[in-house]
Amino acid sequence: MLMGLCVLLLMAATGALAQSKEVKGKITDSKDGTPIQGATVHARGGKASVVSAADGSFSITVDARTRQLEVTYVGYAAQTVALNGAAPVTVSLEQSGETLGEIVVVGYGTKSRRDVTGSVVKVQSKDIANTPATSFESALQGRAAGVQVNQQNGKLGQGINIRIRGASSVTAGNEPLYVVDGIPITTDDLSSTIAPTNALADLNMNDIESVEILKDASAAAIYGSRGSNGVVLITTKKGKAGTSKLELGYYHGNQRATGRRKFMNATEYVNYFKQAGLGAAKLDYAAGYFNTLQEAIEDYESYIPSRFTRYAAGENTWETGAVNTDWQDEVFRTAPISQYDMSVTGGNDKTKVFFSGQYLNQKGILIGNSYKRYSGRLNIEHKLKNWLTAGANLSYARSLNYRVSNDNAFSTPLQIIALSPITPVIDPRTGLLSGALDLATDAPNTNYPVYYNPLLNVDNAFYHTLVNRTIGNAYLNANLLNGLTFRTELGIDQLNQTEESYYGKLTARNTGVANGNGTYATTEMLNLNTNNYFQYAKTFGTVHSLDATLGMSYQNRQMVYSTATGEQFPSDAYKTLSSAASKTDASSGSTSNTLLSYFLRASYKFANKYLLGVSGRIDGSSRFGTNNRYGFFPAVSAGWVLTEENFLKGEKWLSFLKLKASYGVTGNDNISDFASRGLYTGDAAYGGQAGQKPVQIANPDLKWETSTGADIGVEGSILQSRIGFEVEVYQRKTKDLILSVEVPGTSGFSTQYKNVGNLTNKGIEITLNTTNIQTRNFRWTSTLNFSANKNKITNLGGQELGNSVNRAREGEALGVFVAREFAGADPANGDALYITNTVKADGTRDRATTNDYNAATDVVIGNPNPKFIYGFGNTVSYKGFDLDVLLQGVNGNQIFNKAGTYMSASGSNGFDNQTVDQLAAWKNPGDITMIPEARLFYPNGTDPSSRYISSGSYLRVKAVTLGYNLPRTLLNQIGLDRVRVYARAQNLFTITKYEGWDPEVNSDYQASNINLGNDFYSAPQAKTIVFGVNIGL
Amino acid sequence: MKYVKNLYILCAAAVFTVAACSKKLDTIPTESISNEAALATTSDVKIAMVGAYDDLGNAYLYGGDIFILGDLMAATTEINWSGTFGAMTQVYNKAIPVDNSYIANVWLSGYRAINDVNNVLSALDVIKDEDTRDDMEGQAKFIRGSVLFDLVRVFAKSWNDGNPAANAGVPIVLTPTRSITDSSKVPRATVAAVYAQVISDLTDAETLLPPTNGFYASSLAASAMLARIYLQQGDYAKAAVQANKVIASNAFRLTGTYEAAFPFPGGMAGAVANTTEDVFAMQITSSSGTNDFQTFYSPLGRGDIQIEDAHLNLYEADDDRLNLFYNSGGSVFTGKFDNLYGNVHIIRLAEMYLIRAEANFRQGTAVGAAPVDDINTIRDRANLALYNAADLTLAKILLERKLELAFEGFGLHDAKRLQQSVGNIAWNANNLVFPVPQRERRVNTNLSQNDGYQ
Repeated sequence: MLMGLCVLLLMAATGALAQSKEVKGKITDSKDGTPIQGATVHARGGKASVVSAADGSFSITVDARTRQLEVTYVGYAAQTVALNGAAPVTVSLEQSGETLGEIVVVGYGTKSRRDVTGSVVKVQSKDIANTPATSFESALQGRAAGVQVNQQNGKLGQGINIRIRGASSVTAGNEPLYVVDGIPITTDDLSSTIAPTNALADLNMNDIESVEILKDASAAAIYGSRGSNGVVLITTKKGKAGTSKLELGYYHGNQRATGRRKFMNATEYVNYFKQAGLGAAKLDYAAGYFNTLQEAIEDYESYIPSRFTRYAAGENTWETGAVNTDWQDEVFRTAPISQYDMSVTGGNDKTKVFFSGQYLNQKGILIGNSYKRYSGRLNIEHKLKNWLTAGANLSYARSLNYRVSNDNAFSTPLQIIALSPITPVIDPRTGLLSGALDLATDAPNTNYPVYYNPLLNVDNAFYHTLVNRTIGNAYLNANLLNGLTFRTELGIDQLNQTEESYYGKLTARNTGVANGNGTYATTEMLNLNTNNYFQYAKTFGTVHSLDATLGMSYQNRQMVYSTATGEQFPSDAYKTLSSAASKTDASSGSTSNTLLSYFLRASYKFANKYLLGVSGRIDGSSRFGTNNRYGFFPAVSAGWVLTEENFLKGEKWLSFLKLKASYGVTGNDNISDFASRGLYTGDAAYGGQAGQKPVQIANPDLKWETSTGADIGVEGSILQSRIGFEVEVYQRKTKDLILSVEVPGTSGFSTQYKNVGNLTNKGIEITLNTTNIQTRNFRWTSTLNFSANKNKITNLGGQELGNSVNRAREGEALGVFVAREFAGADPANGDALYITNTVKADGTRDRATTNDYNAATDVVIGNPNPKFIYGFGNTVSYKGFDLDVLLQGVNGNQIFNKAGTYMSASGSNGFDNQTVDQLAAWKNPGDITMIPEARLFYPNGTDPSSRYISSGSYLRVKAVTLGYNLPRTLLNQIGLDRVRVYARAQNLFTITKYEGWDPEVNSDYQASNINLGNDFYSAPQAKTIVFGVNIGL
Repeated sequence: MKYVKNLYILCAAAVFTVAACSKKLDTIPTESISNEAALATTSDVKIAMVGAYDDLGNAYLYGGDIFILGDLMAATTEINWSGTFGAMTQVYNKAIPVDNSYIANVWLSGYRAINDVNNVLSALDVIKDEDTRDDMEGQAKFIRGSVLFDLVRVFAKSWNDGNPAANAGVPIVLTPTRSITDSSKVPRATVAAVYAQVISDLTDAETLLPPTNGFYASSLAASAMLARIYLQQGDYAKAAVQANKVIASNAFRLTGTYEAAFPFPGGMAGAVANTTEDVFAMQITSSSGTNDFQTFYSPLGRGDIQIEDAHLNLYEADDDRLNLFYNSGGSVFTGKFDNLYGNVHIIRLAEMYLIRAEANFRQGTAVGAAPVDDINTIRDRANLALYNAADLTLAKILLERKLELAFEGFGLHDAKRLQQSVGNIAWNANNLVFPVPQRERRVNTNLSQNDGYQ
């Protein structure tokens, strides 16, 4: 079939030669006359096209009949200049907020923004470069409508979740597909702990030329079974003909925690727990453990002070408040970050090259956390023949992440806040960290402080993740005939990871192992991909233009991993497994999947007025059941440029207006490789004998999740492009959700993968770009994006999913919080009260209160999904100064403090230090308070309820950059092309009602599609301020 | 037309690439194998049997939790729970929400082990050797009967509470699950029906298994489990007969000291063999198995359960068993479970002496031995003065049982059997029964909930 097409295209080919002339010229910035490098000069009505050199000059050979040149440059208004024979021309370009002329990357090709009929948002390198963060996604936050970025916590190189127009799946992946220079890359979490790491952190964000995000089904359908969550296309910087540039960059600064949570001080703590003893005594007496209440009280009056003395290192300092430790001070720090960059861009007619190197050295705001990354890139393209171009894009990164424990570990730094404020940091009996040594046993303390002291991990344990990553592709691009090209590319993404950890003798209380334990784990992920496709672009006559792509791709991903653990080390000087007396465990394994695809896309444009696009993709995947291995994903889209119509052409105020609509089908294949199979595992040894046992029940009918999306939009600009706007509304319906459906446990299985269920996302996105003031020296532009998405699960086959407070429930948004509704303390006795919420005969809910948790019914108490998100950017430039301020916010979501049951818990969890709000606990009959009576070791309102829900809305000054460019006259004297100094702040200031550390949170140890918006001793984000310089020569 | 030639070459290349890939969608898992291939040979069935023990030894099941939760539920003043696992605190407080995660996991783990052995039982035909086939069938039925017994004890009213033929027990599942259908929604059988199934399975196991079988279930382990079951039912005659079989076999003997029954050689965590008195124990090594008694009772684990004076005061002053308690950081812990890799003792020979003594005493019989001799066997090992037959009372036998088997999972079930209240909670109170897990009732509408949890 392909052969047939080739022949057809051959027959359609034509070609002709004509007389030509050479035109020279120069392009400058209208603001200050500086030359513009890289602007495109195009012969109107012809094919010739060149790019301006560093001094703004160009030389173009055009058909003798050419009358006009078109000059375009990103960020500047396009200009058409009339030619006077072959006389030199000077073009002065004006900066513009207008982006219609820009080229956007779409799957397997590019398009002019003007002709786009799907929904594609582009983020430029200037918004990404030098963001003082580990990974580039941080730079997308607030920059693009419909793109929600949420970093789980402030630990370096860890999970960042991106949702494009909401979540489309309940149990399969919800992250978009990431494609770098045409090749899908590995984004899997390869962490061997439950806290995820971020494979995208291996990309040097300063290498990125642009990020295009395909949002609607018609744009993403070309990626078929992986398109449902949107596609992020990353294009790296390339060499340019006629340039020769060296850029150096450096920044350095500091990071601090964005927020603190308030805990009791020593005096408050002592008084609170004395009170908690009284509360518990009453219940002990009532339970019949004591003959009189007085006996019970006396028992606590001797027990509690003995515990205080224990936790005050055996001293009575607790009586006076002499020791008052704020444990947060011990784990938070002002952490330095610095980055060094170098890049070279160059090229001539035959060969273009870009190469770069970077070193990032970042410490975390949490003690013990740091990240280092070295990376390099070489992008090269060479013209072998007039018709044949070959190239390669190759990058290498080596990152070393010194990680801290997951949020649910006693050793994670922020769990330190559970320790008592009466406990000294240094145990006066030993002169060592509290918990390091019990003089009685000559071993680490087992019951002092209250819990394992996470500070012991800092010097006595480590967990390193080392990643060596090579991402590269090589391609051949052949111009076969007039308008027909063939491109073949082979991509490879090789990720080698080693994780090494050692927990020394002093960590025994945490690990349960007396003489040290260590782990060594390796993961190798190989991701091979080949794309082979034809592209055909031709204008017929003067009004018909056609653009078509046809091809195939094949992807093979293989992962091999191993892990080994050992215990009983001779001393902490020996940390590798070779020294472990007991090799306790080892395992290895591999997994793989393959995807074979065929795709076709065609776009037709009539008179620049009517736009039509169709596409289709067939995907076959190894992941699905034998009965449903192939899927088809079609899409259609259309656009109408009204400003090309005669009835609007005369309207001066309206520069551009386009209506567009699209419809398409995409899929989601992001499930485990063998989800459809019935499986036994050999990991079932017993007593040293090998065994096997069933682990998964089969489903041969398992297939893709399918989303059908419709999108309607209007895009335009008015007042000489001073105001650009885009409004889109969309709806995406997902069916055949792949659910890990709860099954009766009596079957021997707890869940099974099935295609049941539907969900819907609907939303609106508004983007506004304005040039507020533009004079010769002063320029002020704004950009505003607003997105509201409403997610609703319409069918889960009658099930409810979720193993925590978050649930996937029919009729609700994914991940809503479901628990009892808390009603404060019973004024009579201090018991926690709940609203019964049982459904009455008339269908309404009973609002009576009860102190019996089991007598109350679960209701939806909150939603972790924001009602809307927004970003508001302002850029002001005055002469050499520029200021860029980005505000970013989310609104209408809630956060559940999952650790409330420990830290705001009425003393029910023992001697955990408590948040200060607990001081308002019920004490005497008649007290009206939301905080139930404190009762040591007696839960009083600590089961999941709305007691621990709070608003997660925030408005953040996300990024501020103040820069100064040295004037050209000075630069000329010192012989440099460009010098810029800048100060840049990230997360500078946050306005929120959330009382925890930071409202941008989702606890790392349990984060999933469903488990959203939880805080569990999660590290806050970093507030970062850096100072930097960029030098160009 | 040089281009044309190039074009054909490239088109051919593209078509070739397409053709070459189309077979590659049949990937093969490496760590797992398909159901069809799993139970094809004798060796396959044998390793599936081993795998069933792995699931039986799950932390929630015979890894300890099902017993520890019972003891926490029966706890009043003798032990103190100060752990941070809220789900266990709820059990300790006898106020259990229906979504308690530990209780859901006990249920899931129990039926997972049952499905494992049902798979073994379904594949017995592939075993040609009769002895091997009997061995596999016996072990499978031992596990199914034992697990059903332990599930019905915690998820239903006790045998002596009302009419067991009317009270709801737990679902009985006797076939392996190959697909999920409506028939997977199995309703609860009555308590009496579950006990009947349990006794049938264990009686089969007793017949099919050899008397000793390494650390795997043996006929004597089945006899011992039956003794425990009959005692729970108050069928003392049968209990005495079953316990006597185990003792009289001479296959087991008490360890020289009480401490030696809980080996922790050199105070170093390490795998140990069964002791001479382990009739059945779950095997723990550094690479497989979990001993949750260590996790919760030992200060080398989480040390969440401390022993209070109210318990220590029950012992006579020179009781050797007192020496196993020790003070760590101001709290008293039991030293029974300090070995992280110590086996989980499911049935010790000492229990058989105590069952035989109690059963004989209640009936005025002397099956195997006089009650006083059995009690003295236990007391002698603990370095205690021996009783005269005339001084022996039921109370003394029960106290000896309580101390000898302390913290080994008998607290709740003995309280119910003996109709002793827990603090001021009646022995048959609703809150001394686990709720049927909420997750299970969500997906199986045929399951009724226990009284007090509706």
